[in-house]
Amino acid sequence: MKGGPRRLRFGLALVGFELTLVVLAPLVLPNPHAIVDPRGAGLLPPFSRVFVVTLQDGTSFAGLELSRKGEVLALRRGSSWEQVPEKLVVSVKPQWYLLGSDTLGRDVAARLVKAGQISLSVGVSSLALAVTLGTLWGMAAVLGPRWLDRLLMALVDAALALPLLFVLLAVSAFVRPSLGTVVLMLGFFSWMGVARLVRGQALLCREKPWFLAAQGLGLKPLRLALVHVLPHLVTPLATDATLRLGDLILLEAALSFLGFGVPPPIPSWGSMAAEGFEVWRLAFWLPVFPGLAIALSVFAFATVADGLGELGRGERIAGEAA
Amino acid sequence: MTTRLLRRLAASLIVVWLVASGTFFLVALAPGDLASKMADPRISPAARQRLREHFGLHRPIWKRYVSWLTDTVSGNLGDSFLFRRPVREVLAAALPNTAILAFWGLFLELVLGLALALVQASKPHSFWDRLLSALSLGAYAMPTFLVAAVLLWLFAYTFPLFPPSHMAEPQAQGLSFGGRLAETARHLALPALTVGLTGCGAVARYVRGSLLDEKQQAYVLAALARGCSKRRVLLIHALPNALLPMITVLGLSLPFLVSGSLVIEVIFSWPGMGQVFYAAVTARDVPLIQAGTVLVTTAVVAGNWLADVAYSWADPRIRR
Amino acid sequence: MSVSLGFAIACGGKTPTPPPSPVAAPIHGGQVVVAVAQDISSFNEYTGFAESTELAILDLLFPSLLIEQPDYQQHPPSFAPNLAVSWAFSQDNRTLTFHLRPNARWSDGTPVTAEDVAFTFRVQKDARLPWSGQEIKDFIASVEVVSPTEVRFHFSRTYPYQLMDANDGHIVPAHVWGKIPIEEWTHTDFSRRLVTSGPFRVASHVPNQTLTLVRDPAYWDAPKPYLDRVIFKIIPDTGQQLSQLLAGLVDVVLMVPPREAADLKRHPKVEVVEVPSRVWGYIGWNNRRPPLSDRRVRRALTLATNRQAIVDTVYWGFARLAKGPIPSTMWAANRNLQPLPYDPAQAAALLDAAGVRDTNGDGWREWQGKPWTVELLYPSVNTLRAQAAVMIQADLAKVGVRVQPTPMEFTAMMARQEAGAFDAVLSAWEEATKVDLTSLWVTPSATTGSNNFMGYSNPEVDHLVAQAREQNDLDKAKVYWYRAQELIVEDQPVTFLYEAVQLVGISRRIKGANINPASVFFNLPEWYLEP
Repeated sequence: MKGGPRRLRFGLALVGFELTLVVLAPLVLPNPHAIVDPRGAGLLPPFSRVFVVTLQDGTSFAGLELSRKGEVLALRRGSSWEQVPEKLVVSVKPQWYLLGSDTLGRDVAARLVKAGQISLSVGVSSLALAVTLGTLWGMAAVLGPRWLDRLLMALVDAALALPLLFVLLAVSAFVRPSLGTVVLMLGFFSWMGVARLVRGQALLCREKPWFLAAQGLGLKPLRLALVHVLPHLVTPLATDATLRLGDLILLEAALSFLGFGVPPPIPSWGSMAAEGFEVWRLAFWLPVFPGLAIALSVFAFATVADGLGELGRGERIAGEAA
Repeated sequence: MTTRLLRRLAASLIVVWLVASGTFFLVALAPGDLASKMADPRISPAARQRLREHFGLHRPIWKRYVSWLTDTVSGNLGDSFLFRRPVREVLAAALPNTAILAFWGLFLELVLGLALALVQASKPHSFWDRLLSALSLGAYAMPTFLVAAVLLWLFAYTFPLFPPSHMAEPQAQGLSFGGRLAETARHLALPALTVGLTGCGAVARYVRGSLLDEKQQAYVLAALARGCSKRRVLLIHALPNALLPMITVLGLSLPFLVSGSLVIEVIFSWPGMGQVFYAAVTARDVPLIQAGTVLVTTAVVAGNWLADVAYSWADPRIRR
Repeated sequence: MSVSLGFAIACGGKTPTPPPSPVAAPIHGGQVVVAVAQDISSFNEYTGFAESTELAILDLLFPSLLIEQPDYQQHPPSFAPNLAVSWAFSQDNRTLTFHLRPNARWSDGTPVTAEDVAFTFRVQKDARLPWSGQEIKDFIASVEVVSPTEVRFHFSRTYPYQLMDANDGHIVPAHVWGKIPIEEWTHTDFSRRLVTSGPFRVASHVPNQTLTLVRDPAYWDAPKPYLDRVIFKIIPDTGQQLSQLLAGLVDVVLMVPPREAADLKRHPKVEVVEVPSRVWGYIGWNNRRPPLSDRRVRRALTLATNRQAIVDTVYWGFARLAKGPIPSTMWAANRNLQPLPYDPAQAAALLDAAGVRDTNGDGWREWQGKPWTVELLYPSVNTLRAQAAVMIQADLAKVGVRVQPTPMEFTAMMARQEAGAFDAVLSAWEEATKVDLTSLWVTPSATTGSNNFMGYSNPEVDHLVAQAREQNDLDKAKVYWYRAQELIVEDQPVTFLYEAVQLVGISRRIKGANINPASVFFNLPEWYLEP
């Protein structure tokens, strides 16, 4: 079983690479929110360069080409050449768009990285919420009286059946959409799976001789849960959680598609993909890059999950052999 | 056995009632109603008020709740505000379409997922295993609308092999039964493939994992020792056991047969429940929303129950 | 801005609608496929509420007495004969007589008669139906059948828009729909009770898929219509509509997004027709909420918003700067009005004067010592508004005003508007062909209700509007309308952003189409296909 550690290492390396990029790249990239003359610099393909001309009154314009004829500066914006007297120009700076620009002339690379920070932190926080809630719920179901188990599981079914769209509506109607509300919604829609997993795994524990022994000693349910059940849940939970992180990022993309995602101008991979989808016929790179970023993350997390799973399996088999 | 069944049934009814009541109050308390959606300048505030009164929206919420509950219990789903037809008719038109798409979508998902898993599990950790798992995860990890866009661009516009939208051409009504079947199949291809592609990665992961687990079991070793071929062991011995967890996955997919996917239905102009639901929600069409919710909740509960029953039938070990 | 780096690129709205080109003689046959975003909600207008595309389709099935012409540039719209061949007012203007076309037939062969007109009127006035247009008929006391081809409308008072109000609404079949009790109308599937009187009749309707119309051979205006079939294909996704237009699977797309229009124009098989619409976009400020209740603040916010940039970027030049509350294409629009300039410096000065100042030096302005944030609502599925909201946020940040763009589900947003629970909304309004500033700008009263959710109130405007509405003399009415518009623009209860242009994508194989602001299908019976 040497596949496990190697996979785990590969997955962790991918995640690490992504995190490094997302944290460090903003240092060299332009401001992700800066709107640069959309008429001259909107919807440019990757590896484009524009010249940004700033005038005395603070306004600035961007064009693909620049030429000087005596006192006059000519700038090509879109398909037309436009002219300004040289004396009014304060500065002319070239700007590169590594991954192209969006409709408002914002830098896609910079937005992609900023969106990575948002998507990953939204994913992790909502995951933490879902795991906490789900674990508490599942443990309570197993360790409490039988009626509580029935009630809690019925509520899980009810929560699974509650249509996503209504809850989105209700939430968006009552509170101002923000990062916080998105995290809450994502968390609220993912804890049920965790609760079921925890309950299932904990039920297995309950049959084991060491649990029965501990119970026989008269330990309190809380202590039983914390000391004797929880440690056994760590591996399956970790495996499940890494996969779930990818699902959460995808769910955020679906919310954005329906207009309930992270509110603008904050970018997220999901909202960038959804916005890009609208213009894919004109600028295919706009939806593709965020799509690839989501795919890469899900792949990375799934690889980590696989690695963890195989590690667990290896241990288990080793333990049984011993 | 009968008491267990009855008890389970009662619990299910309570769940359905809980969810439907929850939705009722959620929709009733959410700001806006049918009349506020009408932004047309021709519509005067007086007309808005008239709409509210016509559909009984001016009554106190508890009265509306009680009449909804009594109607539903007596089997009357009411009339849709938005479509101005009995809710029953609206659902009867959309439900089969959603079921067809979901069924073939899930079918493709399973077949593709199983095929991938078998190829991967026959040589675990090989190059092919890695590549296939990367690819299927890639499709799984793509937002649905992007997968749909790529499929459309490739197979409907660049190489026009399949129609880009709808369930049939308008002329298809004159076709024979066989012709209509072929027409539907052609139109089903791209949306069903979208469902299949985005879902097969997850199926492949589950099945591959449990296949590898099964391969460690003593009975597989025993079969190999008896001289069975590796392929035979994989297909005949390990696969059936590895498929057990899929029962739960399938049970959880049952609601999809009645709820549909809004994103896919919008992109492929598929006249299913997803679109009906969305329209109902934005118009605050309470009778339609309520009927839909009861339907989906029932499917969720039934799916769980079926999965449990099927599981205990397939795996006697967990029978108690 | 001291330099005009001129926006030299061709702007929208310049290309006039192509007139029908009578080069070759029209020929019969063929079909046209029209992409529409949503299905018709009911074939019976009177059971509720129909959106504009739906009304345009119903116009083809259930013609009204007259056809309103899109000639409201110089005067209120005029009318052309349709089911009625002629009409006349009595001496005192209280009675209006229509003479019906003797050869108009329902699709089951029954003649269209004065009975149908009288029946339709009874339906329109019936309080048991939720028809949204009931108020239009308020001053029509009764409709009298004189003979099968002659019908009289009796008015309770005289006013400028009597003919328009009498004509409003589709004439429906008394001999079929009259048999269905009115109580059952709101839950009757009228697609199974279809008897129509237009140039096309319904061949099939597959809900949420297609609506197929076929030529009615008994149509009174033979040899029209020329097309054998018109298919309305329901395609909710705009991207799909465009792709299918380019692939030749669809012939007409009703709303091309501005960003795609330039691209589409380069395609040899497709034409993009720019139709100046009566829709205009605005930021509606809550005039009841300080400091937005201060006119100086609202003017400052307008001055600080670079509206031309929004027109150029979000609408790709396919829109015009809006000047005031009446679209510039309409006869009552005050042509002397000028849009407020883009002038951040003046905006900053006005805000200072109004007491909205940055007192703690953090770069953002405060109001009464507290941080001030303007929440800007817009409908969540509208990507153009989302872009505009981001641009407005960036513009206002330059003068120290913090804006929080908030996407909301449309119905919920409308509810917040109605309740007055908002700072600002990014929205649009379509002016009716009957010019009237009452609904949006007159002080809302507790009894009548109003669409003036901003809470704008100026007694002088109220007075002027009341005068203008009653004025039968156009030139006198214009004086009142002009002054009212000036006052509204001075007060800036809303920031006027743009006047929209509807972009219609149409296959070049279609000939004879006269697409105008009244309806894309205005002269559909005259459309024909290139041989």
